[in-house]
Amino acid sequence: MSSTTLSPARVLGRTCRAEWTRLWTVKGTWWFTVVATVAMVGLGLVAGNDAAGDVVPPVGEPAWIAPSFAALPTQLALLALAITAVTADYATAGIVPTLQWTPRRTTLFAARVLVVVGTASVLGALLAVASGAAAFSMAPDVLELPLDEGVDVVGTVAIVFCAGAALAAGLGFVLRSTAGALIAVFLLVLLLPLVLPQFRYEWMVDLASVLPGTGAIFLLTGESIAEDMTRTSATLTMACWAVGALALAWLRLVRDDANR
Amino acid sequence: MIEVRGLTKRYGDVVAVDDLSFDVEQGLVTGFLGPNGAGKSTTMRMVLGLDRPTAGSALVHGRPFASYAEPLREVGALLDPGSVHPGRTGRNHLRIAARTNGIGDRRVDEVIDLVGLTGAARRRIKGYSLGMRQRLGIAAALLGDPRVVLFDEPINGLDLDGVRWIRDLLRQLADEGRTVLVSSHLMSEMQQTADRLVVIGRGRLIADATTAEILRGLGGRQVRVRTTHLDVLTARLRERGLDVRPVDDEEAHVEGSSAAEIGDLALTWGLPLHHLSDLEQSLEQAFLELTSDSVEFHGAASEVAR
Repeated sequence: MSSTTLSPARVLGRTCRAEWTRLWTVKGTWWFTVVATVAMVGLGLVAGNDAAGDVVPPVGEPAWIAPSFAALPTQLALLALAITAVTADYATAGIVPTLQWTPRRTTLFAARVLVVVGTASVLGALLAVASGAAAFSMAPDVLELPLDEGVDVVGTVAIVFCAGAALAAGLGFVLRSTAGALIAVFLLVLLLPLVLPQFRYEWMVDLASVLPGTGAIFLLTGESIAEDMTRTSATLTMACWAVGALALAWLRLVRDDANR
Repeated sequence: MIEVRGLTKRYGDVVAVDDLSFDVEQGLVTGFLGPNGAGKSTTMRMVLGLDRPTAGSALVHGRPFASYAEPLREVGALLDPGSVHPGRTGRNHLRIAARTNGIGDRRVDEVIDLVGLTGAARRRIKGYSLGMRQRLGIAAALLGDPRVVLFDEPINGLDLDGVRWIRDLLRQLADEGRTVLVSSHLMSEMQQTADRLVVIGRGRLIADATTAEILRGLGGRQVRVRTTHLDVLTARLRERGLDVRPVDDEEAHVEGSSAAEIGDLALTWGLPLHHLSDLEQSLEQAFLELTSDSVEFHGAASEVAR
């Protein structure tokens, strides 16, 4: 029965360690990781195989094209991981003991976001390397693995996954519902950026151009519906969505009752 | 020590807790009683910082619970044993709690042994019975060797052996000088365990006293008496201002007196008595009298029975 004074940084460190244990002690995290790995490496193998079997082999092409495209569908698995890492506490009412163990809500928020977003970003970067290597292994005589382009692609994948995971975690905190957050992320990241421009109304194209998924598509593939989109504007668009979602999430966690 | 001052919680038009003030002292087991919907759980949630009070405050050793860097070393609480991820093992659930407060895995194994979950600790919680989840929640509460313990209905789901274990545990924790607040709807349990009672109804404080005071102060003293001359005895006792309630032709309950006083009077009047005893007031009876105006949800069984 003792009480000690600890620095906020030490409390945050302990909470991050607890969140890390929390993340990896449920099967769901492993399943989402397996799905992301299979998708990223599998698409890399397919891309390499296509390059090797092409009638006109793309000699000298970088194998890093594979992870750029594979990251688009793969991100959904890691964004789902980020969502469930947040919403599982609300689905099971586990937020009640969680806030008893870490009643400083800003600390809990920071630790959970750091661990979840960090995990998704690092996993994304590692899987991008694995995807590029998988593509190269299928067509070593055709494809190349230039280091500078590799750093660029892996960094871009990490940024896209970082912003996406932050948006997903934020929506999880705001909505406190796995289904609601999954639908919102699916709409914002994948469906609306692809569907809205098809209607060819100017306002729909404008709306689609400021969605986080549009920024992600541009950063990963270089394709965009907006002619004036740049890497900076795409990154800023994604960052604004991520920061906005996290700000709302922090407000909801700090101001509202634990789970009512 | 827990200090609750003017604590109020509103959900729209509904007042769940209404200007509640009481203290929970260390070294005692304090029972927290009230009918369903009285606001007991809401009060405990506000003490733990889970719900924001509309007004008032709840302090643990003079500080809000949320201000503690190592809260598990200050307050161990069990609110809802079902509030756990079913896919995680019991041991991993406790390891997460331990890490938030810088507690080692050795202590995790100690509390697992203490609550008797050693054989099940590495199994997923979804396979646990309610009693096992209750024990897991108690293990989490004791993890930091806390100075204050809050248990909401801790014996729910426990077998007789578990109930006895909880009773002994609560007594031991209080005897060690800790502050113990425990809510329960089982009055007989509280009568055996609690040194002090805080009774609430419709969110308001109804009584805050020792268990003995509450038993003494409600319904007063009662005597059970049997005699073949009940008419005469009743008339003479009523002449002395005592309230006599006949039970049958030969038995009555006398309010506000003792067996010794009634025996002396009967001897003076030359009336033979076949039975004479003090009636012990039960906490259940006292509780029903205290909260009769505060029960929010009445059952319909009695209406149907009529």
